Amino acid sequence: MLRRLSILTGLTAIVGFAVYWWLTIPVTIAASALSAYTPDLANGKTTFNAGGCSSCHGVPKQEDRTRLGGGLGLASPFGTFYVPNISPDPIDGIGRWTEAEFVTAVNDGVSPTGEHYFPAFPYAAYHKAKLSDVRDLFAYLKTLPPVSGKVRDHDVPFPFNIRRNIGIWKLLFVNSEPFRSDPGQPAQWNRGAYLVNALGHCAECHSPRNFLGGIVAGQRFAGGPNPEGKGWVPNITQKGLADWSEKDIAYFLESGILPDGDSVGGSMVEVIRNTSQLSPEDRGAIASYIKSLPPIVGPPKPARSKPKS
Amino acid sequence: MKRIIVVVGMLLLGVGAVSAQQDVVNQRQKVMKANGKNLGGVMGAMAKGEKPYDQAAVDAAIAQLEDTAKTLPSLFPDSTKGLKTEGDYSASPKIWENRSDFDSHIASFGKAVTEAKASIKDLATLKAAVPVLGKQCSGCHETYRLKNS
Repeated sequence: MLRRLSILTGLTAIVGFAVYWWLTIPVTIAASALSAYTPDLANGKTTFNAGGCSSCHGVPKQEDRTRLGGGLGLASPFGTFYVPNISPDPIDGIGRWTEAEFVTAVNDGVSPTGEHYFPAFPYAAYHKAKLSDVRDLFAYLKTLPPVSGKVRDHDVPFPFNIRRNIGIWKLLFVNSEPFRSDPGQPAQWNRGAYLVNALGHCAECHSPRNFLGGIVAGQRFAGGPNPEGKGWVPNITQKGLADWSEKDIAYFLESGILPDGDSVGGSMVEVIRNTSQLSPEDRGAIASYIKSLPPIVGPPKPARSKPKS
Repeated sequence: MKRIIVVVGMLLLGVGAVSAQQDVVNQRQKVMKANGKNLGGVMGAMAKGEKPYDQAAVDAAIAQLEDTAKTLPSLFPDSTKGLKTEGDYSASPKIWENRSDFDSHIASFGKAVTEAKASIKDLATLKAAVPVLGKQCSGCHETYRLKNS
């Protein structure tokens, strides 16, 4: 009896592990899946700016947004992530990557060695990026200066450091649907929806997260505690931006100046460095989409503590 | 008795010093709010097309920003370090830890204002100049301004 039970337990464990293994297999895109293509470098640059690559991958504390040597430490409740080098350096960057490896990394969050990336890399949004945009981006990144220097390993404690588990996280929190235009909306709005949700990955910071670090779907864009620690990320649905006009939003993305004349601070400063490089049409598209977000109440903001003197 | 006088005197001096610091902080916030009004409410509104272009208003706004660039270095004395203030924001202690970098930000702002003054002649040049000024504000606020929580 006891022997039977232990055999049964053993079998269940093996089956359970097999299912887990199967569920968490990293997706890869084969080179053969990519047809012949002539990349559009100008669109690659637009994708680079809209995607905000340099906000994280740019070498910190220097002006040049095209030096993508990485190194920035991103604090989170799960540990600190150190942003990798994605400059075209053949040793420390992505100089030796194939196009298929790059597409796999950006669209599916899987490294060339077949490991899941941590979702600090916003592939939950980039998953919706158009293949042509990603291919143009790869070609554009290749034109940037190589930066040498390998970035240190992430400082993420057990159990979050088990990469295979991220496969489960992806099943739970990455919507596998491709981006779809809404035929009932104008082209400008659809362009905005694409820029905000796929490339701009705005919801990654402007939404509250659950205890597993997944975005709370019902409160997308409704703001919440800063995932990097201190402070609060504003609600950008019409609950928070009701008194901003479309023009105000577009102008903010260009200049970093709020409607009341205040200037942007914190991590959004880096974002404005990207959006200020976009075309006025693209900024207008983002504004038109953001202005259309229905008002959603976000998590309650803690009461402000009294100033100390 | 003498001791009481000394103690009371010290306390009064202390209170005086604290309120002097508070005055500096109030002055600082007043200047910053005025900058915001001129940049966002006057020049930004024109650039956005909410208000018609008005050279006199631009000149007045620029004059105030020039004035700001001159007074800013004196508005962050060492005595106000770590003072948490009323309102949305406080000055970060990093200002006093990296004073020379902070001062170079102010100098850079001053230079941008001078350039804007020379370049703004019409709506097109205004549109080009305002984001440059905005970048100066956020460039410093990114590191040296704290959000009160």
